[in-house]
Amino acid sequence: MAPSLLYPATQLPPASALALSQQAPAVLRSSPATVSSSPLSALFSAPEKPELWIKYENLILSCLRTGDDQAAHQCLERLVARFGNGNERVQALRGLVKEAEAQDDSALEEVLKEYEQILAENDTNIPIAKRRIALLRSMGRVSDAASALVQLLEFSPTDAEAWSELSDIYLSQGLYPQAIYAMEEVLLLAPNAWNIHARLGELQFMAATAPGVAGGSYQKYMAEAIKRFARSVELCDDYLRGYYGLKLVCKTLLSGGSNKTAKQTDDEFAIPDTRNTERLNELATAKLSEIVRHSTARDQGWRGYDEAEIAAARQLLSDDVAASSAIER
Amino acid sequence: MAQVPVQTIHRDPQLFYWILFPITIVMILTGVLRHYASVLMASAPKRLEQKAMREQRRLIHGMNLRGNFHVLSQRSFATRRDALITAYESGTYLKDPERRGQAPPNPMSDPSSMEGMMGMMKNQMAMIIPNTLIMSWINAFFSGYVIMKLPFPLTIKFKSMLQAGVATKDMDPRWMSSISWYFLCIFGLQSVFNFLLGSDNAASQMAQQMGQMGPQAGQMFGPGVDPDKQFLAEAENLAVVEHHSVLDGVEQRLLEGIKV
Repeated sequence: MAPSLLYPATQLPPASALALSQQAPAVLRSSPATVSSSPLSALFSAPEKPELWIKYENLILSCLRTGDDQAAHQCLERLVARFGNGNERVQALRGLVKEAEAQDDSALEEVLKEYEQILAENDTNIPIAKRRIALLRSMGRVSDAASALVQLLEFSPTDAEAWSELSDIYLSQGLYPQAIYAMEEVLLLAPNAWNIHARLGELQFMAATAPGVAGGSYQKYMAEAIKRFARSVELCDDYLRGYYGLKLVCKTLLSGGSNKTAKQTDDEFAIPDTRNTERLNELATAKLSEIVRHSTARDQGWRGYDEAEIAAARQLLSDDVAASSAIER
Repeated sequence: MAQVPVQTIHRDPQLFYWILFPITIVMILTGVLRHYASVLMASAPKRLEQKAMREQRRLIHGMNLRGNFHVLSQRSFATRRDALITAYESGTYLKDPERRGQAPPNPMSDPSSMEGMMGMMKNQMAMIIPNTLIMSWINAFFSGYVIMKLPFPLTIKFKSMLQAGVATKDMDPRWMSSISWYFLCIFGLQSVFNFLLGSDNAASQMAQQMGQMGPQAGQMFGPGVDPDKQFLAEAENLAVVEHHSVLDGVEQRLLEGIKV
């Protein structure tokens, strides 16, 4: 899919971010500098479209990323001209621009102070609260960021974005149970998000393989990890991360089958027996190699995969082949 | 079958230019004006206090848990449920916990809900005043004669609708008086307004009346609803949930379902 200015540019590769920001002059030229909200002119000109504002917003993000501060400022000015300085989203974007232009830590401190000032006036300004948290995290004050997030979630617990950020922060600190809890909250808000299911599986797997984990919770984490990955590929047939995780967990279980005897309680998930684990492993292997093969051949309909993920899957498969040939020998 | 003789009434052709057009144009202009008046009068949505926001979102959170519990494992659902039920029942999330158990404030005396009612009143006024004015204008100037003949036949039932203000018994219902033209304009200009102002305009009365009759979706947190009762009801709902997980038997489903 070609990068478009209508979608949030969260994880674009650098090249397409650059391509987007190079569209800035064209976009700025083709749309009017100010959109009047007065009735008379609105009668005679084309109606303003929400797409335009989304475009400006994404353009700001891309331009800041590629260092085109001038275009970012122009976009921001147009947004301010339309929505005014008091708009929460515009305030957050302005803060983002200031953060991007800050030369040193003291400038960032200034921005942080501004955020705190805005929040003191209006404590439900969620965009600004989120910017403050992101800024705290990028300045290295992770525990401050975490506590601010918890505070935000205390009065707004239906915010999936904030929960997943919290999960990420906890994960970076190695607090696996907390990270899993936060990710489960995201899942409650988006029950059919296969990527979140897979992410939760990854978290469980990481928690299970972390050093110093007890035998009982190892079983619990692994069992749920398998189920999470299985659920994610059940929801999305060709989901590479889901199959990758499924294969990884099955492989780990099959290779290290020693501590199998921990007893299961009723309210927990059980690890599938060895036969089923093998079958799941085979399924994941077959599906992964299919994805890798098609994607390498650049077949129609198999193109959306991330290069790095394909490479990782290929690596996993070839490890597998090497291991099995070593056993045969 | 004997032909009914066609009624012919000689009208001044000027009627067409001096009555039909003015009424139509006035109707369109008032519609446009009403749209912009309501845009100007619309007050910005009120900012919620943190406590009020917490109250609402915590309740939604509980509903979410009740609706999507199947993504969780038994254990994590149970911990969440216990925590939420305890908090709901103790009233932790209430906006003002000390007012718990008292009767909800009278919506008429609550300033925040008065604002919403004022907004409704304003809309009503914006609808009623121009309508009354135009109707009396038409009545004063153009009543008492027919202005046009519709190009299609109609049954006798339409007489009262089309010939309001012209009390002639035997006249063909195809003849139309000015006040009837006004009514036709009220109901028929919707598409013109859609064209001029976009589809979410406030010009048409029809849409507004529909909206008043429509479901009261926004009433969940409206004035007069006791949040404490809502929380208690939600706690009860949560308590009776019988947990099952979508993860039960997922490997079996997968192994049976996906063939490579």
